Amino acid sequence: MKVTIHIWDLPHRLFHWLLAVSVVAAYITAKIGGELIDWHGRLGIFILGLLVFRLIWGFIGSTHSRFSTFFPTFSRITAYLKGQWQGIGHNPLGAISVIALLTAVAVQVGTGLFANDDIAFEGPLFDYIDKDFSDKLTGLHSTTFYILLGFVVLHLIAIVFYRFVKKTNLVKPMLTGKKEVPRALAETLAPEHTTIAFGAVRFILSLIITSTVVWGVSGGVTQLYPIQNQQQAANESTTTTVAPPAPSSF
Amino acid sequence: MNKKIPLAILLTATATAALAGPIEEQIRFRQSAYSFAAWNIQKIKAQVVDHPETYNKDTVAAAANAIAAVANSGLGALYGEGTDQGIGWKQTRLKPEFFQKKDEAIKIANTFNEAANELAKVAATGDVNLIKTQFGKVGESCKSCHDLIRIKE
Repeated sequence: MKVTIHIWDLPHRLFHWLLAVSVVAAYITAKIGGELIDWHGRLGIFILGLLVFRLIWGFIGSTHSRFSTFFPTFSRITAYLKGQWQGIGHNPLGAISVIALLTAVAVQVGTGLFANDDIAFEGPLFDYIDKDFSDKLTGLHSTTFYILLGFVVLHLIAIVFYRFVKKTNLVKPMLTGKKEVPRALAETLAPEHTTIAFGAVRFILSLIITSTVVWGVSGGVTQLYPIQNQQQAANESTTTTVAPPAPSSF
Repeated sequence: MNKKIPLAILLTATATAALAGPIEEQIRFRQSAYSFAAWNIQKIKAQVVDHPETYNKDTVAAAANAIAAVANSGLGALYGEGTDQGIGWKQTRLKPEFFQKKDEAIKIANTFNEAANELAKVAATGDVNLIKTQFGKVGESCKSCHDLIRIKE
């Protein structure tokens, strides 16, 4: 006897698919470069927003989005290895995969914020560090991408494995939010009174915090607290704009 | 007769090297050339892409001409044998594979030249949209060369 339960709430699912699409788009725009590098930067900021939201949602989202529900603790991992783990959301291995993927994306975003391409792109926080350090982080940004790629490939292999070997469809619940589980399991592990549903207030709160962080990182902080020499440069460039020197004169 | 061919090659090579100077000098000159181009690229980026409200036709046209001048200056002469190792203003990031991938690099260099000359042409018209698109093409040619022969930090 199986029952259908709500497992992934709407913000969780939106986060997942938007992240997947933006990471692919970020990869493509980075590979092509040229005019699209600015879109790569915008996608990076958007992904930053998704990450911040996911972090907050991991504390105040619905039950199965919370880190405390699925965090791969030692006892959960041992139980899983012994084949004794029982649960509905992420199993401990899946939880490790989730954390690995989120961390790898965070490294890409973190390095990207300070990166430059030596052509016509600088991340929004480039001015806070010196060029040499930015070059190092840019190098990392392109190398550590392959770690993220590796995790994504493992993630996809796991989905195919579950579909055809374990006969479990993982994609459908991520689309519909609903999952069929044995009644007994649902009653022992997720009885109605222990599950926390999607809450509009908590969702709006998460969005407010997320947009504040994104606004700050993508230029708000620089506006409020201009970097000293940048301010001078800005003043100088204003002067040039008002009275541009004739190109022929020095 | 056959002995004269290697000799001719050697003489040409020596002459070219003499023209461009020793290894360190070649590296230093090319680093300077790209830095100078970068300064001009930044000006166009600022006035055309990031803050179009600050666009100034003369400044952008002058910057585009400077980039084209760098592109047309015969930078290839600064990529002599042995210049994958050495310190100019700082350690060069030229990949040793450059010397095997020279044909490909020359193709990219030609694309860069054409793109930069076209940029100078459209910058003179003052059509910001055209400049923006062409500026992107110049950036693409920079990137394809970086991807091919430049060591990542």
